[in-house]
Amino acid sequence: MADRSYVFGLFRDGNQAAAAIKALRDAPWNIDRVHSPFPHHGIFEALRVKKSRVGYFTLAGGVFGFFAGLALSIFTAVQWNLIVSGKPIVALIPFFIVGFECTILFSVLGNIVGFLTQARLPDFRGLKVYDPRCSEDRFGVVASCAKGEQEGLKAFFRERGGEVLLFDSSPVTADDGNAPHV
Amino acid sequence: MTGPGATHRANAKRRSLIIVASVLVIVGLVSFLIQLSGSHPERAWQAYLINFLLWSAIAQGGLLFSAVMHITKARWSQPLQGLSESFAAFFPISFVLFLLLFLGSDYIFPWVDHDLHGKETWLNLPFLFSRDVTGLLVLYGLGLGYLYYALRLRREQIQPKGRIRSLLLEQWSKDQKDAAWCRSRMSLFSVLYIAAYALVLTLIAFDLVMSMEPHWFSTLFGPYHFVKAFYVGLGALIILASFFRLSQGEKSGLSVSHFHDLGKLFFAFCLLWADFFYCQLLVMWYGNISEEMRYVIQRTMIQPWNTLAWTVFVLCFIIPFVILLGQKVKTKPIVMAVLCSAVLVGIWLEHLLLLGPALNHDVTSVPLGFGDGLISLGFLGLMTIAVAGFLNLFPQAALVEAKGVNG
Repeated sequence: MADRSYVFGLFRDGNQAAAAIKALRDAPWNIDRVHSPFPHHGIFEALRVKKSRVGYFTLAGGVFGFFAGLALSIFTAVQWNLIVSGKPIVALIPFFIVGFECTILFSVLGNIVGFLTQARLPDFRGLKVYDPRCSEDRFGVVASCAKGEQEGLKAFFRERGGEVLLFDSSPVTADDGNAPHV
Repeated sequence: MTGPGATHRANAKRRSLIIVASVLVIVGLVSFLIQLSGSHPERAWQAYLINFLLWSAIAQGGLLFSAVMHITKARWSQPLQGLSESFAAFFPISFVLFLLLFLGSDYIFPWVDHDLHGKETWLNLPFLFSRDVTGLLVLYGLGLGYLYYALRLRREQIQPKGRIRSLLLEQWSKDQKDAAWCRSRMSLFSVLYIAAYALVLTLIAFDLVMSMEPHWFSTLFGPYHFVKAFYVGLGALIILASFFRLSQGEKSGLSVSHFHDLGKLFFAFCLLWADFFYCQLLVMWYGNISEEMRYVIQRTMIQPWNTLAWTVFVLCFIIPFVILLGQKVKTKPIVMAVLCSAVLVGIWLEHLLLLGPALNHDVTSVPLGFGDGLISLGFLGLMTIAVAGFLNLFPQAALVEAKGVNG
């Protein structure tokens, strides 16, 4: 991947970024990454991102939690076998509450696990191709092209109202040579 | 409606719908009368009471949607509110049906002429009927008042055809009140309607459902009943919206996101209904007092009622819960209409479960027959006539075009 150049287009307006992404689909260059300071429907549409799979983690967590809660209360009850007010040892009606609470707890935990794995976090290497303004008020579109074609890509972003940053090396293996030049 | 041909076709369709509904009403009435003159008149009154409760709850809960959306200044729900308000057309019918219930009071109130150990001051027919008639008059009066101002707000979209509409429009043109005034009146009536909804439905639940076992009581029974009424009201609203979406497509003003949001609301009230059931069950289970648990044991643990109890639980909670977990299914009008119909049938059976054991002693099978179905169809016909008639007078399209109904 070292033979590719990364061009970073920064946009003030989310709709401009979305339009650039749409146009990039028909261009010979690759869309590498898109940074957005907040969720933007136009960008989601333009990227045609698949539905997130985090929900399945939440569901699995919830189902697991329900049975884990029931199992916990049944397990602890049968350790002592104490009959209280004539109620059965394994009393499902009140144990349901423990199951319900654990459903919620483990759904949340499953959700977090799902988010972390789906977003590939934690990421200790950090992003080499990045501009901190994308966490403020700018939308960043990262596109890559073969070395030597950057001029076309830069012009492409400028035409669409973007500010252009250029990164020479790949985003993962970049070392010293990755200081952006505008 | 683009040309005279389309209008003609729509009118013909509407007329045939009304004819079918009228046939249903006649079928229901005839089978009610046949059962009444047969050997088991109490079964006819039981079916009548169940249907009165269910269809009135649909109408009351249906209008509640519009009132709640208005008071929360919702923007997403506007095209649905016209449909929601159309359920209020059942109010007068429901009121008359309640008055007719008086004729069957010997059959449907097991406590008549029983020793009630001091409860006679509350449970006696004159007081029961006078307080319930008053309650329903207040509730329906406030509901229709809300409807009146909701229609007045969008008077520009109403065609001056026919006597009722011309009369109303003439009335409204006399004093030119602006939209803000109409909206503030709507807000007033919606708040009062919501409060009356909770109070009057609690009263109805205590008097017509809980009193069947005069020595049993649950304080949460009233809220349980009005949450259930909103649940079925939303279900009926989804069915009606699906009907419009499927027959008119884009023109209905109903989009995928409307169905998604309405489905979420329906799902939430499915959970709330089950929660209110569980809250009552848990407290009784812990207390384990015989006069409280008897009611529950009879319905959930002893044949034949326990089968019915599980059917109700599966139809009204398990199936909707599992299906509505998904996002996509909520946006499919056909699937949602089928699901909501199943829930409505489930709630019908739930009323039978609550009332049945008190009205049928020593039965070996659930007292459910063909006649009950026919009587229910009659009530379905009445509801169809009310809703279709209202939407004929004040088309829902009027609301789709109106701006800023909720302010």
